[in-house]
Amino acid sequence: MEEAILNRISTHLNAAYACVSAERRVLQHNRLFDRLADKKSTNFIEDLIPELVGLEDILTEIATGRRNAYVLKYIQRQKADKTFYYNFHLVHGASPSCAVIFWAEDVTEQALERQELIQKKNEILLLQQLAASRSSIFSSSILGNSEPIRRLREMVQKISRISSTTVLLQGESGTGKNLVAKVLHYNSAQAHYPFVEINCAAIPESLLEAELFGYEKGAFTNAVTARAGLLEEAHQGTLFLDEIGELPLKLQAKLLSVLESKTFRRLGSNKPKEVDFRLIAATNRNLPDLVRKGEFREDLFYRLNVVTLHLPPLREMGKDVLIIADHFRQVFNLEFKKNIKGFSEEAQKALLQYHWPGNVRELSNCVERAMIFADGPLIKPDELLLQGVSKEETVFPVNFPEKGLNLQELEIKLINAALEKAKGNKTEAARLLGLTRDTLRYRMEKYGLKF
Amino acid sequence: MQEPVLIKKKVCLLGSFNVGKTSLVRRFVYNVFDDLYLSTLGVKVSQKILPAIEKPDGTVVQYQLMIWDIEGQEKFTDYLPGYFTGSAGAVLAVDLTRKNSWTIIPDLMQRFKDINPEAAFVLAANKLDLLPEDHAHLKEIADFAKEINVSHWLTSAKTGHNVEHFFHDLASSF
Repeated sequence: MEEAILNRISTHLNAAYACVSAERRVLQHNRLFDRLADKKSTNFIEDLIPELVGLEDILTEIATGRRNAYVLKYIQRQKADKTFYYNFHLVHGASPSCAVIFWAEDVTEQALERQELIQKKNEILLLQQLAASRSSIFSSSILGNSEPIRRLREMVQKISRISSTTVLLQGESGTGKNLVAKVLHYNSAQAHYPFVEINCAAIPESLLEAELFGYEKGAFTNAVTARAGLLEEAHQGTLFLDEIGELPLKLQAKLLSVLESKTFRRLGSNKPKEVDFRLIAATNRNLPDLVRKGEFREDLFYRLNVVTLHLPPLREMGKDVLIIADHFRQVFNLEFKKNIKGFSEEAQKALLQYHWPGNVRELSNCVERAMIFADGPLIKPDELLLQGVSKEETVFPVNFPEKGLNLQELEIKLINAALEKAKGNKTEAARLLGLTRDTLRYRMEKYGLKF
Repeated sequence: MQEPVLIKKKVCLLGSFNVGKTSLVRRFVYNVFDDLYLSTLGVKVSQKILPAIEKPDGTVVQYQLMIWDIEGQEKFTDYLPGYFTGSAGAVLAVDLTRKNSWTIIPDLMQRFKDINPEAAFVLAANKLDLLPEDHAHLKEIADFAKEINVSHWLTSAKTGHNVEHFFHDLASSF
């Protein structure tokens, strides 16, 4: 009777079932159970269904009625390269011939849907974790212990907290303006909002306007669909305008208007849109100079010049060069799957003596190149392939004599040396001394020098 | 040596998603590796019989590990405790390159201990092949293992590095 009922239920549910004694022996089962069970010489349920190994105590509890049921969800089984999922149920059977009822319900369809969801969720989580770690990587990535870097780090920390402040980054090319902009963004309260960047020098004026402000369908010949601009994309986040000194005057006026009104219009639209973002601008040019020459709007300059951060060139960062070079070594070790342990002493000297006109970008390229060619555990000076001017060649060596020096005598000597090197050409001698020709002539007259 | 006694032991792989739990099991049981990432749903049980060992009391035993490769336990779903019950030990798996995957380990370990107070643990710090020899995480994982008082193995399911070792290490503490 019991078997008949179980058979009818299991057929209806398309489930495998088995009746298990209090000694955990399978006494009866249906045909579907055979498909699930391992072929064994014993009839102990845990030998036939390996997922029940370790659950002997639970089986006893269920057999004696101390526990009513136990469920194992989403048990995977593989059959002919196909994955099936089952929920295994152990239920109190209340009769000696069936102390425990084992039944397995096929939940493959539902499981596959769930698996797809989990896959997507995990991929998103992975990306979020990467983004979060990127934020912490950025915050610790202003490397170095030199005074200018410490000051910069302090300033960055302070500015990050005030996320509405416009920031102007000034520094030579390759000093890491882009990196500092990202640190400011990822350490601010807007870290979870977009960081949108554009290089104003890289795009022609006509395209730059459309890129920044977006456009409506039909705004110009090729505007077949409407498109949001970078201002919209940066909403609630950060807009980073690199090489702001190259921004055309017409766009400077439009940008100023956006900064002041926090509204703009897409090209071809009359409808104003509200935006809220932090602006970080960067330049390697002297903006006050550009203002004087009429190439940069004075009002925009003052609007940008709320907080200005000066990024030091690498040649002024002393031994930080070695810290940064070592950072790149670790990065490229990971990327190239190499195990370069460091730089030889001579290579370190070469790194410290070099002038680094291309700053950190040049250092990164230099280390990358060296790591491609390095064949030992340490990078050697010849693998750095440093060319051009070394720092020593650019700095005038000064040795103070014990009794001190006479500045006037030194100036006379310098002028004579420059005139000699320039073979009497006063314009060239003035250039060597960093003076105008008139100043040199005045000083020559003052000291009675003739050449 | 006398005929070994075959003893079945249930072992669970615990850890965050995408740390390589399935890859570690596949390397250990079938000696294969696949770069493709497919999230595990629920659990897949694989078996492997370890070489016979002589216990301190002179008995010779051979463990048949029932290895429970459990889905990533980022979120502690209601059906996870069902998987843990009756385990002799657990492999705590982390991704050496992703420190976020380390953070859930102490909590998971505690939940597992609550169900299996006598359980043995090893820490498998996986994806060693992706880290250079002198990476800071190598020192940090050693400190982390010390902190949670578990022996740790630097492993790579890709190369097979230490995969046999940590399973044997776990079995030796049963």
